Amino acid sequence: MEEGNSIIYGLEHQTRALSPQYGENDAIRFLIGTQSLKPNTNQVHVVELEEDTGALHTKVFKHDIGEIWHLRCSPHDAATLMTVHNAYDHDTCQCAMGVSIFRLPTIEVIPKDLDDLSAMQNRNAEDMELLKTITPEKPEEEIRCAEWHPSDANRVGIVLDNCVSIRDTSTGAHVGGVAPGGRTRLKLTAGKWSPQGQSQFAVLQDTHIKCFDTRTDCSKPAWSIDSAHRQLARDMDFNPNRQFHLASAGDDAALNIWDYRHGKEAIFSRTDHSHWVWTVRYNTYHEQLLLTGSSDARALLTAAASVCDADDDARRLSQVLEDGVLQSYEQHEDSVYCAEWSAAEPWTFASLSYDARLVLSRVPRHFKYKILL
Amino acid sequence: MSESCKDNENPLDIDGSNFNSEMYLECLLKCATLRQVMDKEAEVVTQSQFLQSEMQTLVYENYNKFISATETVRKMRSDFQIMQEEMNKLSENINNITEFSSKISDNLKESGNNVNRLCSTRQLLDKLQFVFLLPTQLNKAIEENRYVDAVHDYTHAQRVLQKYGNQPSFQSIQTECSEIICDLKKTLRERLLTPDTSASELAESVGLLRQLQETDSSLQDIFLTCAENRLEQHLKNLCGIIENVDILEWVEKCNNTLLADLGIVISCYHDIFQDSENANLPEFADKITTQVFHLFEEVVKKPENIGTEILIRGLDKFFRKLQAMSEIISSDTVSNKAQDVVIQCIDHKATMQYQLIQTQFKENLMRVRQSLASKGSETVDLKDILNSLQIHLMQKVQASLLDLMAFLQNKLSFGLKPWCGKAVADACWTVISETLKNLSDMVKDMASMQTSNNIPFELLLILAKLCLEIQENGVTTLHSHLLKLLEESAPGLTVKDKDTNSVMVHLSTAAQAALDSEVVFIGQMAAQMLRVSVLARDWLRAPEPRGPRAVCRRVVETLASADTAASQLFPTSIKPSSDSSRRTIWSRAPSSFSPINRIFSERIEVFSPAGADRAALSNGALKVALKALVECVRLRTFSRHGLQQLQVDVHFLQQRLSCMGNDERLLNALLEDALASAQLRCVDPQLMEPSIVDIICERG
Repeated sequence: MEEGNSIIYGLEHQTRALSPQYGENDAIRFLIGTQSLKPNTNQVHVVELEEDTGALHTKVFKHDIGEIWHLRCSPHDAATLMTVHNAYDHDTCQCAMGVSIFRLPTIEVIPKDLDDLSAMQNRNAEDMELLKTITPEKPEEEIRCAEWHPSDANRVGIVLDNCVSIRDTSTGAHVGGVAPGGRTRLKLTAGKWSPQGQSQFAVLQDTHIKCFDTRTDCSKPAWSIDSAHRQLARDMDFNPNRQFHLASAGDDAALNIWDYRHGKEAIFSRTDHSHWVWTVRYNTYHEQLLLTGSSDARALLTAAASVCDADDDARRLSQVLEDGVLQSYEQHEDSVYCAEWSAAEPWTFASLSYDARLVLSRVPRHFKYKILL
Repeated sequence: MSESCKDNENPLDIDGSNFNSEMYLECLLKCATLRQVMDKEAEVVTQSQFLQSEMQTLVYENYNKFISATETVRKMRSDFQIMQEEMNKLSENINNITEFSSKISDNLKESGNNVNRLCSTRQLLDKLQFVFLLPTQLNKAIEENRYVDAVHDYTHAQRVLQKYGNQPSFQSIQTECSEIICDLKKTLRERLLTPDTSASELAESVGLLRQLQETDSSLQDIFLTCAENRLEQHLKNLCGIIENVDILEWVEKCNNTLLADLGIVISCYHDIFQDSENANLPEFADKITTQVFHLFEEVVKKPENIGTEILIRGLDKFFRKLQAMSEIISSDTVSNKAQDVVIQCIDHKATMQYQLIQTQFKENLMRVRQSLASKGSETVDLKDILNSLQIHLMQKVQASLLDLMAFLQNKLSFGLKPWCGKAVADACWTVISETLKNLSDMVKDMASMQTSNNIPFELLLILAKLCLEIQENGVTTLHSHLLKLLEESAPGLTVKDKDTNSVMVHLSTAAQAALDSEVVFIGQMAAQMLRVSVLARDWLRAPEPRGPRAVCRRVVETLASADTAASQLFPTSIKPSSDSSRRTIWSRAPSSFSPINRIFSERIEVFSPAGADRAALSNGALKVALKALVECVRLRTFSRHGLQQLQVDVHFLQQRLSCMGNDERLLNALLEDALASAQLRCVDPQLMEPSIVDIICERG
């Protein structure tokens, strides 16, 4: 993968789910879930980029339980993943959503010998081991997403359209929850564990961001950012290094960065996309770099160096790196709903568009040098 | 004869001084005949004899004279002896006289001395009497307020008193006098400090005190503090009447009391302390004038004094007085400050003007907003509103420019000064640029806060158009109008190259912001309707479609109303004949949803700057609304009837919206995308026959 060249990987069905393999430290691996209403056609693709050769290797697993809306690899175990899926039941004429935890038979993707290679070239979908399926209390409830607890491997937070349910992965039992009240009963869009609080769970509710402590009765948010966006807020990400900072994206095409202790005004705001922004991600290693994906069919690499200026190292950085879009990635032709940094390598990221196209790209080398040197 | 004359030196001439007897004889013997020699001899003999006798006579005569002289001398000698005797007698007599006279003078000396002593004693006695009477004199003089006499007397006596002050008899007088003088000083000082003494009395008092040997600097201080006190009093009075009187009266009062007194104070100061340096005076004058200027500023800022005519007249009077003052004070600061005051007045006036214009414009806007909000469903003539707003604004600006020109009248004391002209020109331009900048800022504000504050979109259109119109014509019109006015009132005065560009940029960005805001507003309104309707509906259990859903009609109405509004204000580009609008968009295979199709279609920028054109505005709104539809459809799952319902909806939208905007490809691409997405999200993707869809749409 040379400078400016991205690697494109195409799938057969529409896609909305992408996750880096969080538990993996060496290989650049991403998992993709497909979204098709046709029964027994959905798959989980494991894509590995061989760094030395730039070659792309894939492995396909069956996901017959339904179309995948959301996928998250476990941060505790590289082989474990969790999908939010939806299936249509022809008998009841109804859709049912659920959360399932799988284990991959192997995390190796690159073939070791010719046999392996030929098996892979057949692209026969393999089976995954289904560990647990968790269903919502009411079958018609819609699940927005499911998130692993950052430290407790047995806990997941499931965001439904009006509440958050904390479940135990082994038993599937409801061990806690968040039910943001309010007269309006605005629906939830997404949610995430707060990396600092351990028990804090932040949700996006319409245009607002609210964070609840799951140990309390959740009548009042621990903190909140009201009207973070002028339209619906779609996604958020916590700054991995800087406490209290988080980035959010929404239907007003804006990328905002907040210090949630002072939630009145964003400390950084840009409107570079020309349609709704569906995803925003901090680079785990270099918090100045943000990745956004939007339904204007673009992924943007944005620098927010000015808000990372507290310590001496970074002050130098803001002098060499100007705030704003570093690079626009235009290889997509449909809405980009997912964009993720690799968990193993700080300069590689993947973006996934609805038309089943995965684009693996790199931070342009001169920016990389600016940050490193 | 001629020969003898010639031979004057001739040694042969017998009468000549160089006569050489040898040569003569030789010559005679040589050249004369004997006879001639004989004759010559006889001649010489006779001549010699004649000469002999003549010499004898002369000797006799001389001898006689000598004898008579001797006799005379002898006679004289005897005469002198007599004389000598008489002289001796005379000297003796003289000696006697001298003796007598010295005796007499000796005798008179004593009595003369006595007389002298008597005279001096008398003088001394006079002085003493004056001194002894001094206290009463002083008292009397002071009682009669003749301070000048008192001081005069005292200064006369003072030396004596100082000299003999140690004598007991004088001591009492001196103490008495100094007490009286102390009292006098006190009275004088009191008089200085009492506020109702006039400035000339003040000067007199200070002069007297000065004669009474007060030190200069303290006197200066006292003088100035007293003057200041009095002026403070005036200032206080002036300050007090600000609320009650108009500017003319105020200026009159100020000129007559404060400034007049200040003038007297300053000239007195010059008179009294001519020799000392004028170190304190400029400072003092500055202090007072600064306060006056502050008060004047307040007066100017009073709302009652905003009338140009009255303001100018007041200012003129004030300025004249100040000019006169600056000559007295002879410091530049006052005249500079006077200029500053005029310039400030002009600027203040300009500020008031553009603020007034802004408030009026805001009021107008508020009225327009109310009328737009309350209009209900009737259509309003937006062009009319735009025109009235624009004309009103332009007229107001022009009127205020004309108003400012009043500062340049010839009859005014400052009217023809170059600095004044420059200030007026600058102020005029400030009025223009500030008004337009305020307008731009207001429009930008409205554009940015429009989500929270429900501003009618028509207003945004009007404002955008207003900004554009002013940018295109208004700025240059106003600029040339200003130039014309300046030329009329002060020929030769030019406005320096004013930055019309930045104003224009302001206006055009404001217009763009308003247009963008309008497009997003309309688009979001429609998008919100579509989003809610798609997300809230259970598409899996939808009944068979009977017509387009009500929300589609509302969306069409919303977009259409915006389109009509835009058509009133923005030029309508001619639409290509729309036969193709009847084309149904699912004539392509339903499976056409693939990346391949997209490669050939342009990328659609949804939130992009809107053009100032009806079609572009509609396109913008359409994009926002329909892209939202696509995205929302992708989040749902459809049954067959649900899909067909959406098919009907899309067909309806396509039919109704194709008359708006000018980019049919864009409309079709987005609708196609929506339908294709719905097909993908359908568990049983079977579309209806196009003909049936047509019928349903028309029936609905």
